[in-house]
Amino acid sequence: MKIELLYPEVCCLYGDLMNAEYLSRCIDGAELVKTPLGEKPLFLSGDADAAFLCSMPEHAQLLVRDEFRRFSADLDSAIARGTLFIATGNAPEVFYEYIEDTDGTRTEMLGMFPLHAKRDLINRYNSLYLGKFGDDIDIVGFKSQFCHIYGEKVEPLFHTVRGAGLNPDVMDEGFRVNNFMGTAVLGPLAVLNPPFTRYLLGLLGIEEPKLFCEKAALDAYDLRLREFSEPDRGFSY
Amino acid sequence: MGKLRFLLVLWFTKCTRAFMRLVGRNATYLPGSLALRFCPGFMGYMEMPKTVIAVTGSDGKTTTSNMLIDILTRRGLRVMNNQLGSNVPAGIATSFIQSCSLTGKAKADAAVLEVDERSSHRIFDHVTPDILCITNLFRDSLMRNAHPQYIADFIERAVPKSTRLVVCADDLISNRIAPDNPRVYFGIGPLPTDVTECINRINDMQICPVCHAQLIYDYRRYHHIGHAHCPKCGFASPEADYLAHDVDTAAMTMTVTDKGGSGQYRLVSDSVFNIYTMTAAIAVLREFGMDHEEISEAFTHVSVVSTRYDEEDAGNVRIIMQMSKDKNSLAGSRAFDYISSKPGDKELILMMNCLHDQQSWSENISWLYDCDFEFLNKPNIKRIVCTGPRAKDYVLRLQIAGFPAERILCTEKELDAPSLLEYTPGESVVVFYGTDALDLVAAVREETRNQAEKRAAI
Repeated sequence: MKIELLYPEVCCLYGDLMNAEYLSRCIDGAELVKTPLGEKPLFLSGDADAAFLCSMPEHAQLLVRDEFRRFSADLDSAIARGTLFIATGNAPEVFYEYIEDTDGTRTEMLGMFPLHAKRDLINRYNSLYLGKFGDDIDIVGFKSQFCHIYGEKVEPLFHTVRGAGLNPDVMDEGFRVNNFMGTAVLGPLAVLNPPFTRYLLGLLGIEEPKLFCEKAALDAYDLRLREFSEPDRGFSY
Repeated sequence: MGKLRFLLVLWFTKCTRAFMRLVGRNATYLPGSLALRFCPGFMGYMEMPKTVIAVTGSDGKTTTSNMLIDILTRRGLRVMNNQLGSNVPAGIATSFIQSCSLTGKAKADAAVLEVDERSSHRIFDHVTPDILCITNLFRDSLMRNAHPQYIADFIERAVPKSTRLVVCADDLISNRIAPDNPRVYFGIGPLPTDVTECINRINDMQICPVCHAQLIYDYRRYHHIGHAHCPKCGFASPEADYLAHDVDTAAMTMTVTDKGGSGQYRLVSDSVFNIYTMTAAIAVLREFGMDHEEISEAFTHVSVVSTRYDEEDAGNVRIIMQMSKDKNSLAGSRAFDYISSKPGDKELILMMNCLHDQQSWSENISWLYDCDFEFLNKPNIKRIVCTGPRAKDYVLRLQIAGFPAERILCTEKELDAPSLLEYTPGESVVVFYGTDALDLVAAVREETRNQAEKRAAI
């Protein structure tokens, strides 16, 4: 099985690289493949089983946008095939319509979702995040971002319990089309959320998935979930 | 009207400072904060000392500033500084209040200002440094500083056009700031410990800033620090104007050469990180007009502040206190690399938790996964005790790094951590701690000392 890490030379911020590394270490014999800028991602041709796109500097969002522009038809096919794809942090913004800065400047993005980002590069939004994936899986993590997301209703990845969703006024967080997923939640998501990671492993066809360092991961998850569920716990930084 | 307001605010804040000092307060922040509130352009009305040196960057700015202050003061200059206060505008404004006359005239011969990189635009709008040293740019708190290019853009917008920059030739993020400003570069020549491939998790300068091709590193110290070139467009790291070479960490000496000559220096620390800091300070002092001989002699009296690194013998072990700024993956990586590469067996206590965050919410621990815990996975690190509110996160991170689970211990209470160590004669006990709970750190140090002596007496 191949897990693909996309453009890690620029998409490498906020611990997100560990999402792909951790998932690959949960699968016997899995190979972690790194695809640099300029090369066609393997998952687009069905040659990788899952792909991860991590947080990146703002200038890199444009490089990544341009990379995907070259393969828009392949991307549509990969989504339709149900290939697992997870974009975290500010990576989902690459797939929105545009990013608008506080001075009104708009940067066109891929436009795959009827959403846009409003970016304030002076004031960074920081918070804890507690949400639900489906009915049963609690999600914990962090938000640390310059953008909030606005636009039409899309199928969310998570339902927010505490913290901000796509923006502070909505409970929907991220997007999901088939197994093409995006969320601003940092963690790293796969490491901090063993139940969600088990679900992802299930999508990859792993029966009775066993997590890497499972006990330690569950201990940390249980404590964090308990803390984030405390009513007096501050959420915004 | 502006000048009158300035004078009224100056007198008021001088009185405020005097009163605070009278009642035993340090008064290193509030007077400046009040001054900026009542007179936002306050610092712009101040007469500047003859030479203003500012130091900013992600890491090493306090150490660099302290070196500069020590050496310039030793030279007999009156040096205005914010050594005891904060490095944000209020702290710097307080330093001006403290060191000026009742009419705002400068009483100091020179100023050495440590400037928070995120606040640089709010300071350089009013204060034009003659020399600005940018030590480096690395990742810091992701919540405040996002990533190094973000901070580079911040400083770029803030630097006055006339300011002469002293920047690191080996740091392609910070040395490209404000390309039109006059500048000199400092750097370290090839070292026996150099590598070409990055062994760190953080590597923030992998592609050419001009054509986006993969950079090739001719040598690399750590992370993106080194000398690189682009095989496609010819872009390359600049050559150092102030080059440290013949670095001998056994003899604790190095030579620094520039176009005006060379000087031999006693190292204040054997870590490459501090050698960069020292070279930066030497470059600034040379730009200030001092000769190598004078700087070299002055450095024999300089030491790295002991709150960041300290050692002592206790019982049959050596206790090492190693600060590792909380929520800072790079500081952790550098500290882990430095300690783990020292010879001899070690036991560690990890307590870099951000207790301040824990009081009101919960620490964002994403940084743990950018930090090279893998450096700790060495046979001579015998045991690691994880402690504090995020102890379980450290346990998980260490296990993912491959450190054997059976050699990891965990206790939430920091003061219980020292009793979990073995204190095998001849080994070192290293306490990694953050910056926001120094009283607790002192208590843990004392308990570690007590435990070491108790075990030695058995």
